[in-house]
Amino acid sequence: MTTIRIEGITRSFGAVRAVDNVSLTIDEGKLFTLLGPSGCGKTTLLRMIAGFADVEAGSISFDDKRIDRLPAHRRNIGMVFQNYAIFPNLTVEGNVAYGLRARKVKPADIPAQVEKALARVRLGGYGSRWPHQLSGGQLQRVAIARVLVIEPAVLLFDEPLSNLDAQLRTEMRVEIRQLQQSLGLTAVYVTHDQEEALAISDRIAILRAGKIEQIGSPEEIYQRPQTAFVAEFLGGTNMLPGVAGAFDGQWTEVATCGTRILVAGKVADAGQKLLLSIRPEALRLAEGPEGPLLQAKLVLREFLGQIQRLHAALPDGTPIRVSALGSRQVAATEGNTLAFTYDPAQIIAYPAP
Amino acid sequence: MKGFRYTVTFGALALLALFLLYPLSLVLNASLRVDGTGALTLANYLKTFASNYYVNSIGNSLMAAALATIGATLIGLPLAFCLARVDLPGKTLLLTLATLPLVLPSFVAAYALVLLFGHAGIITTALRAIGIPIGPIYGLTGITIVFTLTLYPYVLMPAIAAFKAIDISIEEAARNLGGSRLHAFRTVLLPVAMPAVLAGALLVFIEALENFGVPVVLAEDRPFLAVDIFKLFAGEADNNPAAAGVLSVVLIASTAIMLLVQRRYLNMRRFTTNARSVPPPVPLSRGWRAVAIGCSWGLVLLSLFPFMAVLFISSLKFRGPVLTWQLGFSNYALLLAGSYQPLYNTLMLATITALVATLLGAPIGYIVTRHRGRLSSVLDVIGMVPFAVSGTVLAIGLIIAFNSGFLTLTGGWLILVIAYVVRKLPFSIRSASAIVHQIEPSLEEASINLGVSPFWTFVTMTVPLMASGLVGGMILVWITAASELSSTIVLYTSRWSTMTVRMYQFLEGGEGAGSASAAAAILILFTAGPLLLVHRLLRRQDAAML
Repeated sequence: MTTIRIEGITRSFGAVRAVDNVSLTIDEGKLFTLLGPSGCGKTTLLRMIAGFADVEAGSISFDDKRIDRLPAHRRNIGMVFQNYAIFPNLTVEGNVAYGLRARKVKPADIPAQVEKALARVRLGGYGSRWPHQLSGGQLQRVAIARVLVIEPAVLLFDEPLSNLDAQLRTEMRVEIRQLQQSLGLTAVYVTHDQEEALAISDRIAILRAGKIEQIGSPEEIYQRPQTAFVAEFLGGTNMLPGVAGAFDGQWTEVATCGTRILVAGKVADAGQKLLLSIRPEALRLAEGPEGPLLQAKLVLREFLGQIQRLHAALPDGTPIRVSALGSRQVAATEGNTLAFTYDPAQIIAYPAP
Repeated sequence: MKGFRYTVTFGALALLALFLLYPLSLVLNASLRVDGTGALTLANYLKTFASNYYVNSIGNSLMAAALATIGATLIGLPLAFCLARVDLPGKTLLLTLATLPLVLPSFVAAYALVLLFGHAGIITTALRAIGIPIGPIYGLTGITIVFTLTLYPYVLMPAIAAFKAIDISIEEAARNLGGSRLHAFRTVLLPVAMPAVLAGALLVFIEALENFGVPVVLAEDRPFLAVDIFKLFAGEADNNPAAAGVLSVVLIASTAIMLLVQRRYLNMRRFTTNARSVPPPVPLSRGWRAVAIGCSWGLVLLSLFPFMAVLFISSLKFRGPVLTWQLGFSNYALLLAGSYQPLYNTLMLATITALVATLLGAPIGYIVTRHRGRLSSVLDVIGMVPFAVSGTVLAIGLIIAFNSGFLTLTGGWLILVIAYVVRKLPFSIRSASAIVHQIEPSLEEASINLGVSPFWTFVTMTVPLMASGLVGGMILVWITAASELSSTIVLYTSRWSTMTVRMYQFLEGGEGAGSASAAAAILILFTAGPLLLVHRLLRRQDAAML
């Protein structure tokens, strides 16, 4: 059980600050995800914890012990790599025993520990196989067994599922989550897949250009994004530019895209420019004239099974996406105008940049 | 990790500085001094460039190299397309045979040309007997033919790799947009493969320019740079170290410029082509396929013909310089009756060289590939310098540097090994770095992450994974060291004579055609044998050599 404390760490490549003065604390036993677009610095940050990228400034501590000056092989961290990094010249058993041998564990004790670790990832009896005889999912399990067996202080995952097909990916992430929770290990997980991040994490840090945009639980990050970037990155919101109007004590009316949208609370002084974030699922097809309404012309309807996505155009032509349940009947055909209703509390206004 | 990196980098830089850059600087220095007084002067250059003979020498060498480059490209490019994209019978064997000329000693091919088409050559006399006189093979004609036939694999190998790397969908797109097959080849396939072809062609130019063995056999009295440098430095009649220095500087400057152009060009124009699978053969009509088969096999066999001729002739009896048509091993008996020593020397020197070059080249290749930094790019460039330095010039530099003083090496075997190791280092660096490219960096990181120190990770994980590539590179070094003539001829002593030197001596003497052919045959067997045994290991690397 280890708490990770990162204080003000920085790393640049040439003129680019890949990681720019990042501080965060990862509580013991939690799975913490670094999420962001490619090039945001999440992998560099992970590699700095592992010891594969130098720390220019700042410090990394496990509990109260500083580790950023330790060489990578003395940090007692288990890292699971994107391409599994299974040693092709060793059997499954040889791979899993590798860390134990490096730690000079008594040879007599090794087989039992290896078998236990393999059983934990449901690969019992696979010890004598060679890596080229295994599938991608099995290789990933070997990689996990290989780091579990050394009982590391911290687990690191570098986009571990990105080489697997979609179905295996969802299965493996459940397995990884269950293993991490049952062992109570502190884990840092890097991914660019927002659904994976939301599904697996205790807490998520959204990174952008080497800086943290927001840290929070998956629910917080999704429902209360603090910046327009976070809102747009997570879940693909509709981002509409507008100008704040009068506050009537309950709602602020915002003029946007040739229409008006109500936002809960006083979000800005009248006349101030804003960006409105409206999640596709925050809009519903209106059943009657009550509630705030938004008119939009249907452009295209995509039926996706569980849900259907409506592509519509606001009065000034700005496109907007709306998600509706797949079972919901949509009477209109393309070209007709639809009325949507919404809860003003679900609409978030950001100051325009 | 840093300690390991710095040790290797600085160790390698120190060795290369001592045994490559320092000797070369002495050659440059010698070209700038007044003979006797030692004052700085440009007079040597003025005198050399004012001499018709030396200007001709430079001109002839450049001309032969340029013609060889064109010839090798004209052979290599179509052959590469056939090997990459035409369904040829016996393709694997053909590919193996096509790589042979690259490592077989080219002066043996030159010697075969003399045996066949020389003044008293078999074919010359046969044709003369039935009343057809043929022109002389000596000079530019013969030299260009030998260079073309022995150096075309430099174009062939990268061109095959390039054609194979172009995904079939690119060609299909060109056809789908309305282009004929020929149009697609001309507008898409050829331009995309061209950087690789030109990079290979530049290497042909460099190799042809610095080659010593071929002109020494075929030039007769026509001036050629590498030969003149040797004669001016070591010859008894026309000894002139200052002029040798000037010509050396000219030679190195030309090859170095070409090497720089080659590398710059490769960096600038490398199209990203990653075929998901090898593109399928082009469907050809029966007639065209027959033409492709005939030309491909014909060209490869033609390039090997001189070597086969030597093997055959070596098993015929000579009476003095006159060939008889009786089979027998008298040539070998005569050659080895003299002494087994040159054969032992060749095998021993090649083996030591292969071991040392691999031991040095593996860590250098590793660092150059794994670590992108200013130091490793310096190392990368300096490691390639021996490519541009002719063996004769390097050997002359080594003699000037280590003839006396703090480190006297001349006259022993060590100086030969040093010259070979420096000359062959690019091969071992390249083959090591080719194999490192294929090893995922994350494997090493995983090992370190699991608690094994970087140094032990390199020794216990990376080196075993590199082993197949290292063995291949080591054999390549062994072969080329065993057939090395240009530096040996400057550095050998009677105690440390090699098979190549013996062959040269027989040729110069004019008497020992039989013994020379036997020596040439032994060289062929010792180079082709190991190559054929391990061609699987090597095939991966020939393309990576560039």
